[in-house]
Parts: sequence; structure tokens; C-alpha cells
Amino acid sequence: MEQVLANFIVALRNAGVRISISESIDAANSLNIMGYKDKALLRTSLAATLAKTLNEKEIFDTCFDLFFSFDEFPKDHNGPNQNCEMEEQEGLSPLSTMILSGGQTELATLMMQAGQALELSNMQYFTQRNPFVRRIMNYMGLEELDNDISQLSQDGSALSQQQAQGLRDGRDLLTEYVRTYVDRNYELYTRATQNNILERHLMNMKLSNIEERNVHDMHMIIKKMVKRLKDLHSRRKRNFRRGQLDFKKTIRKNITYGGPLFELMWKKRKIDRPNVVVICDVSRSVRMVVRFFLLFLYSLNELIVKIRTFIFCNNLIEVSSVFDDHPVEEAVEILQKGIGLDIGLSRTNYGQALCDFQENWINSITNKTTVIILGDARNNFYEPETDLLRNLHDKAKRLIWLNPEGPTFWGTGDSEMHRYGPLCDFIRECNTLNHLERIVDDIL
Amino acid sequence: MTGVNNEKITSIDSIQKSFKEVDYICSKPIATTLYLAFCLNKPILVEGPAGVGKTDLANKAAAFLDFPLVRLQCYEGLDESKSLYEWKYGKQLLYTQILKDKLNDIVKEKNNLAESIDALHRYDDIFFSKQFLEPRPLLSALQHQGGSVLLVDEIDKSDDEFEAFLLEILSDFQVSIPEIGTIKAESMPFVFLTSNNTRELSDALKRRCLHLFIPFPEPELEREIINVKVPEISESLRIQLVDFIQQVRKLDIKKLPSISETIDWARVLLLLHADKLSKETVRDTLNVFLKFENDITVVNDKIHELTQHALKEAHG
Repeated sequence: MEQVLANFIVALRNAGVRISISESIDAANSLNIMGYKDKALLRTSLAATLAKTLNEKEIFDTCFDLFFSFDEFPKDHNGPNQNCEMEEQEGLSPLSTMILSGGQTELATLMMQAGQALELSNMQYFTQRNPFVRRIMNYMGLEELDNDISQLSQDGSALSQQQAQGLRDGRDLLTEYVRTYVDRNYELYTRATQNNILERHLMNMKLSNIEERNVHDMHMIIKKMVKRLKDLHSRRKRNFRRGQLDFKKTIRKNITYGGPLFELMWKKRKIDRPNVVVICDVSRSVRMVVRFFLLFLYSLNELIVKIRTFIFCNNLIEVSSVFDDHPVEEAVEILQKGIGLDIGLSRTNYGQALCDFQENWINSITNKTTVIILGDARNNFYEPETDLLRNLHDKAKRLIWLNPEGPTFWGTGDSEMHRYGPLCDFIRECNTLNHLERIVDDIL
Repeated sequence: MTGVNNEKITSIDSIQKSFKEVDYICSKPIATTLYLAFCLNKPILVEGPAGVGKTDLANKAAAFLDFPLVRLQCYEGLDESKSLYEWKYGKQLLYTQILKDKLNDIVKEKNNLAESIDALHRYDDIFFSKQFLEPRPLLSALQHQGGSVLLVDEIDKSDDEFEAFLLEILSDFQVSIPEIGTIKAESMPFVFLTSNNTRELSDALKRRCLHLFIPFPEPELEREIINVKVPEISESLRIQLVDFIQQVRKLDIKKLPSISETIDWARVLLLLHADKLSKETVRDTLNVFLKFENDITVVNDKIHELTQHALKEAHG
């Protein structure tokens, strides 16, 4: 039975539960105490030893149900054979005999053996399922079964006809059962790996090419990414708290004790909380990427305390409150369509946006603020107002421009990148999640 | 060192029964985990929403095993000297003062400094011996003869450093004191750790424990708990109030009422001599189980439906 437990642990690991060796040993010990008889007990004891967070418990429950539901062949399989006479037929293959005599347990065992021999748990892709069904059937003796069927149907007697029909029905049922078996295995061992592949793929894919149906996955990835960044930076902050000996302060403090250095004072570095202003273009030319920018901004909004978000198209408005008040899907929808917001969504005007910012919010920019502009700089040949951008650059700590277009397109057509670019501290092409992550890591 | 040996722990059913005797209704998963922990000699990490009886589980386990309960409440900044041991500085100072003459006697005959120090060296360990050691919860749990129940409450409130320091105790049941050496447990304490999940615990800690998640109880279980804790309350009112609370837990509110709050509410209703739920009594007593102004408003709006549903549940 240890093999079963080991397989189960592999399945759990694939599904994303971290299980160490000592935990597997605990699980094995607890099984020795509890036994396999009672399914509820089995579930509780394995859950106590293997799944250690609420999230893992949920994964555990689904895996457990999938894994321990490998039951016997369905009973109705017995149906067609009931009429047949059970006498041993000369020259029939073992598989045919099994089907005719209705030996479900043996069939199930044979199938499991086939699965193990063919290393079903190594299955990696969705497309491998059908070949595996085929190979398992062959391993179990499909060819002989087919031969038997054709021989029996050629033979004229009523009994043979009946048996042939029974075998045919049995074969169909068996195929179906093997298919469910393979599907379950796919679900158990492969799906998680698949998710990883998909995730890696999405990370490097151009944002504009990602389809609508992957948006949900994207949100999960972005969430994970932001969490990782957060963990990373909270640790960095903690390290900042350890300082060097502040000699002047120590002397000053210890004057009261008349000289001896009783109390040591340390240089404490002040933690610079990131203070970020994001200005995001939401016009049609960047429509495909904007969704992901907004998703990312949303998650960022949860991470950074001091962040203000602005969006613009014809004109510029502040939208920080939208992020705070609405759940993510809603917020992105609102911002993209400008529902209830005082924004015109026809032609992008970078100049106007800069004017608006200058007029209303320029005072919120201090020498500690990082300004990020997300946009393709396609200005529809309006006045670019480069002076205002220069002003913004002078006031802010850093001015970063992220452009979803590649450098080759900068300055072509109505793109003003060549005029805006030199005024920024940092310009970068940004159209995959990887780009985004690297840049945010730099900012924090 | 011996494990937790107790003839009371024979089977899962017997655990459930004995806990009921000490007024704690323990569901099958809880009993199973306890049984496993007894058998494997492992600490239990208990998680779950506030007020579902995490701390009480340890209390009742101590009562059931007839062991003393040693409780360590965690908070930010908790360190070794508060949790493990401390030297009794005052006593050490006092003793050196009192024994001044004796010390003088020892040193008097010596001719030079080196010899005096040599002489003193023969005695210096006296002041760093067990008599001068002030055991804090962790150490005293290890020192109890015949076993104890150690409750490390709200481990998530402590710092990472403290968590790391706990590892030695949890896996080997021993602590190292530089001046004395390693102290091993006389008999293994039975350890509960509770967490409210305000931060993620380290994998190393989780690996050493069995994990038990106590969720909000099912209606039957909750009714049974109320029955045990507030036996004076009538059956129909019990069904009504449990149903009401269960419905409130499905609403979108900030702080969901937990078992302890259900018990409080039952007691309040008993004091008010209510024999069934009515809109008025519920409205007057909402603040017993709801702790936020907004939550009260949300529930207040639905008070009619909720009460009706609860009444129907009791009759149907």
C-alpha cells in the first residue's frame, strides 16, 4: 500500500502542495495507525499530516476525491453477458474470457497494471490522452479481442452470435472506462504541469496577443507576481532597519552617564516608502495592452500605500478611488469604458493630458515621487507640450516612460517618442509580463 | 524521556466521549487529529477563525489528560528571556553580597591575583546553577514530571526569529542553556500551537506539526455545543438561534460571529427570559454577536427574513 501513498503524494505535489519527506513519513506512520478501511478517517489523517494551510486543504480535498474514486467497473457492464452461458470457450483470449465472465475486479486490475507499465503518470500534454487510451487497450489485449469477435460473428451458431454481441458491448464499455481512467490521471498528474507551461508561456507573450479567455489566468499570474515582489521588498525593508553604529549619537546619549558608553545608538536608515504616480493612456491604439496595465496597477495599488493613478485619452482624470472601491474585474471595466467618469474616449491627446496634470496635480509631485507614464506616445499630431513634460521631469525623483511598442516604431507616424524620450530618466519597451515585473522591481 | 502515555487515549471514540465529559464537543476530524498526535508524539498546529475554540481545545485537553496546562501567549517582541528562562539577577546579587565574608575568606590566604582567581574559579558555577534559573513557560513545560500540556497561543503574532527558535523545542523537546547545557524533557509535553493566520508561518514550523483546521461548525454540531454550554435553554430556541447565526454567517459582513459569540447570545437570551426569537429581541441583542457598526446595519436590514426563517426551522 506504500505505493498508493507515494502516488498520492506525487499527485498532491503536482497540484501545488509542498510536501517534504518528513511529512510523507508522518503520513505513512499515521496510515499504519489508522489503516485504510475508513475513508473519512483516511482523509482526516492524511489532511492533518500533508496539507498545512487552508489553501492546501482545498487542493487536498479535490485530489483526494479524484484519487480515491478509482472504483470497480460499473455494474451494468454485467448486463449483456448475463444471458450467455458461462462455459469456458476454447480458443478465446484471456481478455474476452474476462469480459464474458464479467470479472470486473480482474479487468480493473489489468487496466491499472497496463497504466503502470506504460507509465501513465508521465503523461504531459492534453493531446496524449487518446494515444494512451489506445495503448492501454492494446496492452490489455484488444487485438485478440477483435479477432475473437470477428471469428465468433463468422461462426453461424446463435450462441456465438450472442457472445460476439456481448464482446462488442463489453469492448465499448471497456473503452469508455479506460478513457475515464486516463482522463482522471490526466487531471491528477498533468494539469498542474500544464498550468506551469501555460504560465511560463503567458509571461513571455506579448500582452496585445493574449486572448480574452486567458485574462483570468493572467490575473492570477499578476497576483502571484505582485505577491512575490511584496515578499521580496518587505524583506529588503527589514534589512534596512539594521544600521551601523552612530558614534555621534552614542556619545551624546551617554554624556548623561558621565562618559562610559552604556547605551549604543545605531544609524537608522529611514525607510523610503515608494511614492508613485502612474499616468496611463487608455485610448484605442493601446487598447489590447491597457487591460493588463490596469490589472497590474490594481494589484500594485494593494501593494503600495502611496500610489495615485491617472488615466487619459482626450483629457486626464484621477482614478485612484476606483481601484479602492471596486473589485478588480469591475474596476478594469469601468476604467476601460470610462463608465461614469469625466473622460472623452475618442482621440488621444498627450499634450492636453500634460496640461491637465500641470493645472491640477503638479503640486502633488515632490522630489520623492516616481512618475510612470504608460503609453505609445501616439499623439494624433496634436501639440506635444514637451515643456510641461520637462517641468514634470525636473520636479519628480524619476520619470519613467513605458511604451508597449518596440523601439523600431518609436518616432514613426504620429509617435512623439523621439521628442518625449530624451526628457525621461528611463524609457523602456514594455509588452510582456516579464518586462513589467522587472521594471516594477526596479521602482520599488 | 517518555511519550505521552495515558490509558485514556485508546480510540477516537473514547476521546470524543471524554471531551464531552469536560464540556467540549469535539468533531470527528478534531478527535482523529488528537489521536494521531498522541500516537505520533507530534505538536498540533490549530488554525481557524477567531472564537471557534482553538485555545479551549488545549485547555480541555489538559483537563482531560489531567496534566497541568502551561500557556505561552505570543506577541511581537517576545524573546527567549520571556519565554524560555532567565537568570535571577536579583538573587545572584543578593547572594554575592551576603556571601562577601565567605568569599573574602577564600581569597585571603592567596598571595597574588592569579591565585585568588584560581581559587574563585572553583566556586563560580554556583551562581549559574539551576537554583538561580527562573524557568519561563517553555522550560517549565519541559520540566514537569509526568507530562504537561503546552499551549503556544497565537504563534502568528510573534516574530520570525522566535518561530525559528521554537523549532528545537518542537522537534527534539530540548533546550540549550549555554551555562548549564542541554535540558531534555523529563516526559514529552503535549503541544498545541494556535494561529489566526495574520501571517504565513514558516514551512519548517508547519512541517513539524500536524495541522488541524477548525471551521465554523455545522448546525447540528453547533446545536450540540449550545446544549452542552447553556443547557438551561429550551430546545426550540436553541434551534432558532443556531439557525439565525448560521444564516448571518452566509451574509457579506466583516466579522462573522463565531461559536463563542453564539454561546454569549444564548446566555443573553436566557437572561432576558426569551422563549422564542422575535424581531425586537434580536434587534436589541444584535451587538452581542456583531462587533462592527456596518455589520449591524447589514443584518438589521434583513432581520425580518432571518427571524422568520429561524422560526420556520424550529417548527418544521
